[in-house]
Amino acid sequence: MADKNTKFKDAGEIIENVLASGRKILFPYEAMDIIKSSGISTPAYALAKTANEAKKAANTMGFPVVLKIVSPDVLHKSDVGGVVVGVENEREVERNYNEIMNNLIRKVPDADIMGMLVEKQAPTTTEVIVGGIRDEQFGPTVMFGLGGIFVELFKDVVFRIAPVTETEALEMIEEIKGFSVLNGYRGAEKLDIQKLAKTVVTVSELISDIGEIKEVELNPLLVYTEGVTAVDARIIIN
Amino acid sequence: MTLDKFFNPKSVAIIGATEDPNNITSVVITNLIEMGFTGNLVPVNPHHDEVFGLKCYASLLDVKELIDITVISIPSGLVPEVLRQQARCGIKNAIVLSGGFAESGHKGAVLEEEVKTICKEEGIRLIGPNCIGVLDNYSNFSTSFLPWTKVKRPGKGNLGILSQSGSYVVSMMDMLSLEGIGVSKVVSYGNRVDVGESELIEYLTDDESTRVIGIYMESVDDGRRFIKASGNCTRSKHIVALKAGRQDSGIEAAKSHTGAIAGKYEIYKAAFKKSGIVEVYGLAEFMDACKVLSMQKPAKGNKVLVLTNGGGFGVSVSDLCGDTGLDVAPTPESIRDTLSKKFPEYFILKNPIDMTGSSGDEDYGTAMKSALVNNDFFDAAIIIPLMPPHTMTEGVVDIISQMSKESGIPVVICMVSGVYTGEIKKKFEEKGLPVFPTPERCVKAMSVLVERGRMNG
Repeated sequence: MADKNTKFKDAGEIIENVLASGRKILFPYEAMDIIKSSGISTPAYALAKTANEAKKAANTMGFPVVLKIVSPDVLHKSDVGGVVVGVENEREVERNYNEIMNNLIRKVPDADIMGMLVEKQAPTTTEVIVGGIRDEQFGPTVMFGLGGIFVELFKDVVFRIAPVTETEALEMIEEIKGFSVLNGYRGAEKLDIQKLAKTVVTVSELISDIGEIKEVELNPLLVYTEGVTAVDARIIIN
Repeated sequence: MTLDKFFNPKSVAIIGATEDPNNITSVVITNLIEMGFTGNLVPVNPHHDEVFGLKCYASLLDVKELIDITVISIPSGLVPEVLRQQARCGIKNAIVLSGGFAESGHKGAVLEEEVKTICKEEGIRLIGPNCIGVLDNYSNFSTSFLPWTKVKRPGKGNLGILSQSGSYVVSMMDMLSLEGIGVSKVVSYGNRVDVGESELIEYLTDDESTRVIGIYMESVDDGRRFIKASGNCTRSKHIVALKAGRQDSGIEAAKSHTGAIAGKYEIYKAAFKKSGIVEVYGLAEFMDACKVLSMQKPAKGNKVLVLTNGGGFGVSVSDLCGDTGLDVAPTPESIRDTLSKKFPEYFILKNPIDMTGSSGDEDYGTAMKSALVNNDFFDAAIIIPLMPPHTMTEGVVDIISQMSKESGIPVVICMVSGVYTGEIKKKFEEKGLPVFPTPERCVKAMSVLVERGRMNG
C-alpha cells in the first residue's frame, strides 16, 4: 500500500479505494483527481450523472466545455462518439449529453455508464505527453514526448529511469527531435519549459512513490507560455 | 559472496575430461596447460585412468583433495547429478559449458530449472550453462574450449568483457588480440541461471586489474540491481554496452494509445544513461569504445584541436566532429601568434591546423607544444599524421606521445592502416596512444571520451 507520508497522500487514498472496488483502470475523474492532488494543474472538471447536473457544472466553470463519457466499458472514447468539444451553452450541453448517451447505447449496448465528465475547455496550444511506466525489468520509468503525430508517426519520445531530477527532466525535453516546437520555433513564443520539466519530475515521483501504479499518462498535457494543463489523464494500477 | 574462485581457483575439476580431440574438454585442458595455469587440474571421467598425464578420477566423490571449482562439459541430462555430487563434496562453484538447456526447447528448460533449484538449495554458484565461461589473463585460468591457435589469446590489459553470447566473446578476443588491446577478465555466462552481469559488474568494480568493462547484452538479469551496480562502477571505471535485440521493441510503440509510451529498448537506453554507461551500436564501435577508454582518459570539455599534415583528413575529421557535437573551436589568437612566428606562412593555423605535406616530425612537436602544452584552451586533440612524405619518420611517434603526455589531455590518432602505417600504428599504441583507421571511427572514439567526461561532470 502507498506510503501515507508521501506528498501523494491523496493519490494513495484514491488508489486504495479503486483497488477495493476491484478495478485496474481508474475512471478519468479519479485519474484527474490524482493528477490535481499531485500539484499538476488541470482545467475545472466535474462528473455529471444527468443532463441537468452537466448544465449546472458547465455554468459554474464557464463555457466552452468538453463532454466526455465515463464508462469502464469504453477504452477509446472518441471511437464510440463519446467526446464532444466546444460546447458553448446550456442548450448545447443538454443536446450533446443526450446524443453521447444515445451513441453509447447504440454502439455498446451493455456498457456500464458512470456519467459524463464535464471539463472546461482549455485554449489550444502545443500538446505533449508525459507518462510513467513501471517496467518489469527496470522498475519505474518516466517518458516524455510531443503529442499527436510526433509520438505516433515519429516515435519522438524519450525515457528515463524514475524518479528524475529537474535537470534530468530538462535534458529529456531538450533531447527530443521536435524540441524547437517548444523552444520558440520561427519566432513563436517560447513555451514554459521549466513548468513542463517540473511536471515530468512530479509524474516520475508519482510512479516511483506509489507502487500500485502500473502506468500513468497525461495525454495531452497542454503547454502554454506560462504554465501547463493536463486535460486528460489515464492511470492503470495493479 | 565473492566470485574470486571463478577467476583464480587453486584446484579445478574437469568433469568429462578426455584426450579425445573431438571433445571440447580436451581443448579446455590443452589451453590451460598451454597458458601456464599453475593450479591443480583434476580430470574426472569414469572411462579414463589418466588424461594428459594427469590422474583421472571416476567420480568427484573419489577425489580427496579440496576442489575450488568444477568445469562441466557433459551431456546436459547428466549435469544435475554432477552438481548434487559436488554439493556432497562441498564444492561451491561450477562453470557449465554444456548446452542442451533452455535454449534447446521444453525438455532443456525443465533441466535448467532443476539446475537452478540445486544451486539454490545447495548454495552452489554457477556460471552458464551454454557458455564459454571465463578467461582471467592474470591468473592464467580459462575455460574456453576454442583452441588458442584459432582464437589468439589477447594480451594482459585493463579491459573486462562480459557477454551473454559466446560467439561474441570469442570474436572480441580474436579482434582484441590482433588490435593489441589487453584484457583482464572475460566472462561468457550463456543462459545465466545464477551469476549474471549485475553481480559481475559489482565484482569487476572492485577488481584492480579492470578499468573498462565492455558488455554485450540481450537482456538484463535484474534491472534495478544492474542500474545500481553500473552506476556505482562508472564512478571510478567505464562501462561500454552493446544492447542486441533492439528491434524487438519500439516497433509496437504508438500502435495503440498505451503502446505509444511502451518500448523496451528505450528503457534500456534510459537505464544506460542513468548508470553512466556508454552505449554503442555495433562490433567495431564496441571495440573502439573499449579501446579508447582503456588507453585514454575522458575529456573535460568538447573543444577539440585537429592537427594534421593532410588537408583532406583535417576537413573530413572536422565535418564529423560537427556531426557529433565536438567543437573544432578556432585556434585562439595567442596560439596563432606564437605558431606564425615558427611556421612558414602557408601553414594553416585556424582549427584544423594543417601543416601541409611539407611539414615533418618536428613540426608536430612545435604545434602541440604551443597549442596543447603551453595553453589549456583545448580539451582534447585528434592528431592525423600522414606518413608518406619523406619528412615524416617513425620519430614522430615519440614526439607526439611526449607532447600528449605533457599536455595532460586525451589524444587520439587517426591513421589509415596500411602495410607501413600498420607498423607505425603499433608503435603509437605501445606508447598508449590509440590509433583509429578512419576519420569516422576516430571521431566516434573521441566523442566517447567527451561523453564520458560530460557524464562525470
